[in-house]
Amino acid sequence: MLRLVAKRLLGTASGDIPSRPLQILPRLYHENVIDHYNNPRNVGSFDKNDPNVGTGLVGAPACGDVMKLQIKIDEESGKIVDACFKTFGCGSAIASSSVATEWVKGKSMDEVLTIKNTEIAKHLSLPPVKLHCSMLAEDAIKAAVKDAEAKRAKTNATLKGADVKSG
Amino acid sequence: MASSSRLPILRRISILLKAPPSTTLRSSLPSLARRFFLRKALAPNVSPWIYASSSRFCSGPLNLHQGSQGPAAIDYRSVLSEDEYHRLANSTIQDLQEKLEEYGDIVELEGFDVDYGNEVLTLKLGTLGTYVMNKQTPNRQIWLSSPISGPSRFDWDHNAQAWVYRRTKANLLKLLESELEQLCSKPVNLS
Repeated sequence: MLRLVAKRLLGTASGDIPSRPLQILPRLYHENVIDHYNNPRNVGSFDKNDPNVGTGLVGAPACGDVMKLQIKIDEESGKIVDACFKTFGCGSAIASSSVATEWVKGKSMDEVLTIKNTEIAKHLSLPPVKLHCSMLAEDAIKAAVKDAEAKRAKTNATLKGADVKSG
Repeated sequence: MASSSRLPILRRISILLKAPPSTTLRSSLPSLARRFFLRKALAPNVSPWIYASSSRFCSGPLNLHQGSQGPAAIDYRSVLSEDEYHRLANSTIQDLQEKLEEYGDIVELEGFDVDYGNEVLTLKLGTLGTYVMNKQTPNRQIWLSSPISGPSRFDWDHNAQAWVYRRTKANLLKLLESELEQLCSKPVNLS
């Protein structure tokens, strides 16, 4: 889609007069992507200082994509009870991260690490050029889990230290 | 929030990215996230995607070192200069384009097409799938999208003098050679 748009823009910039009237570009976003764009699930933010919240931040504005995905872990079961995201990027990136937050809810941290970018891409029927968005969403999940686990390890270490002192 | 949303999204991004150099991503992110995440509050006639052009918004690769939870952050400017990167990437992609065109003549595949436009190389293999290869200049990478192995991001490995995907250690040319042989049943030499 980018190429089509870029070609059209370049065509008009160099003063080429199209030999035929402008064609209407065919719809190129799958309806699942448009649904996630119009009705995004779980947009928002948790307190990143909460010990039960894992935050994954991936991407860079220079590349056109930044995703922040947060997960809330239940202390006792270790399962993900809630998730939210904020994404700066194209429709496919937004949809990919939105799908990711839907899929991680109710799962354990080990389980969500098995979520593959190919599954997200298939669900959204992403075209080849947008597969990178789904990979970024997978990376965001992994980063959030890594952060959550690091925090849990830190909390456990602190608790153990307290036990030793009082015991 | 309602008043800030009147300012065009792209201008707000550039204002925030012009923050003083001492501002790390961590401290600027909460406001960045508050203002720039896309949600249905956008006017219905806004185009369904907003593409951030790196030349417009990027003041340089973001300093993600502090508190970064993502994959390793590297300052790519020190790894490869932009000129050197363009020289290497362009030569790789153009070389591939020629070799793929020759390959197309050998392989009689319906819907085979090699197209190079706006520095994006697209290889269509009819019903077998499509490859898209493009440069990702801020990261000094070549990005590949493959119908077999999905998305990969290749960095220039100076020692190996090759483009390598860090996660799998795959070599760009070798990966393409093996996948194309798998898909089209005819070997190809892209080195």
